[in-house]
Amino acid sequence: MTKLQKKKLTDKLVILVWIIGLIVIWEIGASIVETTKRSPQNVLPHLSQIVESVFSSKPVSNKQTAWQIVTSNATITLLRAGTGFLIGTLIGFILALAMNFFKLVEKAVFPYLMMIQMIPILGMAPIVLAITQDIDKSRIVISAILTFYPVATNMLDGLKSVEKEKYDLMHSLAASNWHIYTKLLLPTSIPYIFSGLKIAAPMAITASILVDTLQGGAGLGTMLSQSLKHAMSIYVFWQIVFFSAFIGILSYKLMSFAEKMFSPHEKAKGSR
Amino acid sequence: MKNSKSTIIAPVTLGLIGVFMWQSQMLHRILGADTFTMPLPARIFGIITENIAKILFNMQATVMVAIGGLILGSVLGYLLAILASNFPKWGVGGLSVISSFNAIPIIAIAPILNNLTKDFSSDPNTRSMLAKILVVMITCTVSMSVNAYRGFIELKPFSEDLMRSLAANRMTVFFKLKVPNSVPYIFTALRVSVPASIISAMVSEYFAEYIIGVGRQIRENIVLAQYATAWAYITAAITIGIIMYVILIIIEGICMKGRR
Amino acid sequence: MRKISKKFVALFVFIAAVFSVYANGNKEVAPAKSYYASNATVESIVKDAATKGQVGNWGLGNEYEIQALLTKYNLPTTYLSQAFDMDGFDDDSILLASAMTYNELGLVKNDYDGGYGYGNKVSFIDMNSEGVAMLEDNLFTKADFAQANPNTVKAFIYASMKGWEYACANPEEAAEIVFNNGSSVSPQHQAYMASEVKKLVETDTAGNPVSIYGKMDETAMAQTLALAKKYIKLEDSVAAKALESMTLDDIRNTVFWDEAMASAGKFDVEKSDVSIQLKWLPQAQFMGYYVAKDKGYYSEVGLNVTIVPGGGDIGEPTAVYTGQVDFGVTWVSNLIAAKAAGMDLLQIAQVYQKSGLVLVYKTEE
Repeated sequence: MTKLQKKKLTDKLVILVWIIGLIVIWEIGASIVETTKRSPQNVLPHLSQIVESVFSSKPVSNKQTAWQIVTSNATITLLRAGTGFLIGTLIGFILALAMNFFKLVEKAVFPYLMMIQMIPILGMAPIVLAITQDIDKSRIVISAILTFYPVATNMLDGLKSVEKEKYDLMHSLAASNWHIYTKLLLPTSIPYIFSGLKIAAPMAITASILVDTLQGGAGLGTMLSQSLKHAMSIYVFWQIVFFSAFIGILSYKLMSFAEKMFSPHEKAKGSR
Repeated sequence: MKNSKSTIIAPVTLGLIGVFMWQSQMLHRILGADTFTMPLPARIFGIITENIAKILFNMQATVMVAIGGLILGSVLGYLLAILASNFPKWGVGGLSVISSFNAIPIIAIAPILNNLTKDFSSDPNTRSMLAKILVVMITCTVSMSVNAYRGFIELKPFSEDLMRSLAANRMTVFFKLKVPNSVPYIFTALRVSVPASIISAMVSEYFAEYIIGVGRQIRENIVLAQYATAWAYITAAITIGIIMYVILIIIEGICMKGRR
Repeated sequence: MRKISKKFVALFVFIAAVFSVYANGNKEVAPAKSYYASNATVESIVKDAATKGQVGNWGLGNEYEIQALLTKYNLPTTYLSQAFDMDGFDDDSILLASAMTYNELGLVKNDYDGGYGYGNKVSFIDMNSEGVAMLEDNLFTKADFAQANPNTVKAFIYASMKGWEYACANPEEAAEIVFNNGSSVSPQHQAYMASEVKKLVETDTAGNPVSIYGKMDETAMAQTLALAKKYIKLEDSVAAKALESMTLDDIRNTVFWDEAMASAGKFDVEKSDVSIQLKWLPQAQFMGYYVAKDKGYYSEVGLNVTIVPGGGDIGEPTAVYTGQVDFGVTWVSNLIAAKAAGMDLLQIAQVYQKSGLVLVYKTEE
């Protein structure tokens, strides 16, 4: 076993121990709640009960089991999150380029980009709905609005991080703007873009779940709120809590993986 | 100097153009929106001036939750980073496990914490305040712990070795080298946490038992189709955000003086 | 190193102190009395719960009847925000909790999935007998839509009311239809809900039977508007003024319903693909529409209807007003508020003839 392999193994063990620690804390809490509350499953159920509900074949609604509800609605939400994420990334990309190219645009627009992030989704939604006339389109648009900001800011940082000497060198070699962008600016900003994407991907998912709750229909958020309203088993809620955390982490890992694919030369350095 | 002037003039000009287009309904025509879901600025401003006392009262409640959670979460995050940097073998794993909390939507965390804090006090205002602060705390802990940890380990090459060779003990290394090094990273974290703290404070208000706060008012008015009033509160929320952000930038400017 | 360990000790002491306060708080909270005698008067119960600050309601436009009741007994109109479950009632943080007879009350009493199983250990205060009833589930559309598509509106009313009539005559079958078409809720709860909704559709606020479905009763509508004017608090002075001067003619039009019910069921519809936005989750609360669709009543009049479930924060008035859907079901008070804000909406039928809102409390046994 090489040293590197060994380190990776201990890293995994450490994470395992941490997870076990969290499970122990949760279970202690659940045991206390179990003795003090009349309906403990609504406050903090045992993890075993949640796992049991995943494998239960009992239909909780419309002939679907709790787990079937979660997975079928997750597909819908993730599809919307994915579409919103792609659109948001594209907008972020264009904004970053525009802001880097025209300094005045950056100065004028940047404060407002931050302000848009401060508008609660609830306030934004009716306007978007009035414009699109369709709740599902609105859900995608709002996911996009919430994801472009980290992509735009991080990419802008990346474009700015290019050392002036390199830039001047390209200019002195009479390189065209197009060349400067494709050969120098974009490659340099790739790690920055990915750190933006790593923030944006889990955000697109939580945003998509939040936007689901704005109106009825299908989607993880809708099921989460219906379950909270006791329209169906409360375990649907608990399953969604864990499922969304899992998917969020997965989306982060996916972006890290994509980062490695896109920047092979970084591999040697051992990216963090 | 000329540079900093345009930093202010450019956004203000754009803002004025935006407000003009909004008020003259040009914006509505471009977007295809109506003056109902997107009320005119004059009307929103009118509602703000007529109800300034009530709006300030609700702003105060939201600010308390946001700042309380921001401070608690940031302090906790910093302490976690200290622990992690002192026990790197265990710490890194712990931080990555804790980061997973950020992947759970606030709308799921808020009801859980509401139920868990029920026994804290018999006064609903107190206990829902605690629940809301805890929600904000969770959102702020992660970014601080991850960033501060980087501040502790991303030191100038050989600086730690140099100090050690000068026989500095762990405490000295920590306070003279690591803590100062982490300051810029603290501000990186806060620049994410400050807007996040306000958004999560408002979302936690949607679910809280005690009816108070800018977020709750926005929700009540949206559900009742009182969009102009809702936008008055949204303006209040944005104002809180801008003020807190500007304060942060000023503090950052003071703390980072001479560093760059 | 010593300094650091001292700090850690201090931290631990602090945490321990917080926990001990928390534990002590636990003991104090144990409520002295969270139950009421079965012969207690309504006044004594409301007074007790209100002075303790433990009357619950969901807010968001559902609170006016409760506030009217509190005013009736000279009590302040503040209330606790109740989540859309009955956990707060269950754990005694709310002594007098809002419940709809067909939904939350059933969850509190029954012990099927999602229920709390209190059986007969609970009792409730009825808004109708307290004289503070406001009308709830109605049928409405946008005024200019009604003007442009009068036959579509009449056809929709005709087929929907036929659906309600069948559903009330066969509540068990209606519950099954809803369960199969909806996306949620246990069949037992749907059956319970259907039987309770039938009572609201077929009884007026005074307790007299109603035999015509969807009728807009003048007295009950007037009482609803009067209470709405008193308890809907609008910060927007323009909307507040509009509310103050509002009359029944501003919010409802009886012509469509009259002509639809007098017709032979043949309509030359202007728009055949229409949609309706429900006020809440897909459940037997809206069984009439599900039955009309399932039994083909809508297709008989030439309509192809899409039923859109609600329950989110974008209200039914907004969905109808923005043109996302054509018809909507909402509470009359919510329609009044939206109308005051400037939305040109029109009520075209009133399905629920009395209030389904009650305040539930635990009784000694």
